Amino acid sequence: MDNLLDRPEVQSALLPFVIALVLALGLRKLTATAWLWAMFAAFTLSALLINGLTLTPLTGTRKIILLIGGALFVAALLPGVLARLRLQRPFTDLFCLLALGWVFSAVVARMQTLQIAMIAAGAVAFAFTLQLSFERVIVNPARLHGAGLGLLLGVGLAATAAASALLGQLGLALAAACGGAYLAWVITGASGNAKQLVVTLPYVLAPLLLGVASVLFARLPWYALIPLAFIPLAASLVPLKFESRFARALVASLPGLVIALATAFWVWKSSGSASGY
Amino acid sequence: MKKYLILAALAAAPLNPALASDYTIDPTHTYVSFAINHLGFSTMRGKFDRQSGSMQFDPDAKKASVTIEIDAASIDTGHEKRDAHLSSPDFLNAVEYPTISFKSTGVTWNGAKLATVSGDLTMLGVSKPVTLQVTSMNCAEHPFNKKWTCGFDATGSIKRTDFGVNYGVPAIGEVLDLQIEVEAARN
Repeated sequence: MDNLLDRPEVQSALLPFVIALVLALGLRKLTATAWLWAMFAAFTLSALLINGLTLTPLTGTRKIILLIGGALFVAALLPGVLARLRLQRPFTDLFCLLALGWVFSAVVARMQTLQIAMIAAGAVAFAFTLQLSFERVIVNPARLHGAGLGLLLGVGLAATAAASALLGQLGLALAAACGGAYLAWVITGASGNAKQLVVTLPYVLAPLLLGVASVLFARLPWYALIPLAFIPLAASLVPLKFESRFARALVASLPGLVIALATAFWVWKSSGSASGY
Repeated sequence: MKKYLILAALAAAPLNPALASDYTIDPTHTYVSFAINHLGFSTMRGKFDRQSGSMQFDPDAKKASVTIEIDAASIDTGHEKRDAHLSSPDFLNAVEYPTISFKSTGVTWNGAKLATVSGDLTMLGVSKPVTLQVTSMNCAEHPFNKKWTCGFDATGSIKRTDFGVNYGVPAIGEVLDLQIEVEAARN
């Protein structure tokens, strides 16, 4: 059993997918954010298997794990509270900004001013593109999850293709968890979507942190994030004139999957495409 | 009065770092290399291309200390893609933790030569004690630049998981064998 749980495909694909699916199905009558609780549980378990229990030294990757887990927890817990207080957008923006500062400030501080400005501008542009795009799809579960699935898969595969299996595995675990929650929606049709902006926080924050970390720590070309940033927009544009939820899910996720795979292949080719070293 | 001044200067001489033999490590003749098991098949070797440091060395007083700083991003296994992976957060996390350092805390002697060098190895912000076995050592005037030069070869081993480098264990070995060759010229 231990050997099975050591396998990357179990840690980052099978396990988070199954756990998210089962929990999203099981919890859907209890809460409108069942899919977020399911993703939180699936990601937490995956992260424990990938990283272990230790948090020292508190590396950027470990901070990212804590922040993504925290974002999923907050997004699952707070929609009602924040909606009443009209705080969702500032809360999401502030969460992302503080997260970027906590994870990357020590590294960025050693850089030249121009580099810092370019990284900050790129990260903010990436975050706002994602946030605005997800706002377009929030009312439609097929588009929302389709965009999330493609984006997380793209970030995970691109990080792996660049240089970091660790960052890649985290992105892929999230994509698998998203896939599990997505399938639960396809099976039941329970929207499970609180239709509150804050539920998109994990979908914005996780690609943002994993993407910037892959650029800074793992030599992912920064321009690889550009096509990935447009995945939610692409998911919002495809026509979904089908009765079948399965067909809608398939079509809504197709552009994201194509962009994700193409980007990862491009990164893999441009970074030398060597394997088996 | 002059006699007392000379005596005072002589008495203070061993305490003066310059006279007590401070050395600067020659990065072009200093090598930090490692070997690690690869998937149970073979031993993979690599080295670091950039390091600096200093030594204090006084065989008469049986005192010595060594400080070496290694640029983590200079890892070189002869394979660019693998080096990028080894520099990433999976292994050395070289962007967040750019320096690996060794600072000696004690030495033992075998006659006039060093036998072991114990110290703290700091990697990824984690410091652990390491003891290096000195396998050879020599001090002499450098034949070309005429500076007094000391050099030594040392070996040791560490468990990378002690430093939080867990990726790929046990497929990629947990124990890292270190080989260090240092050459340093007296200041």
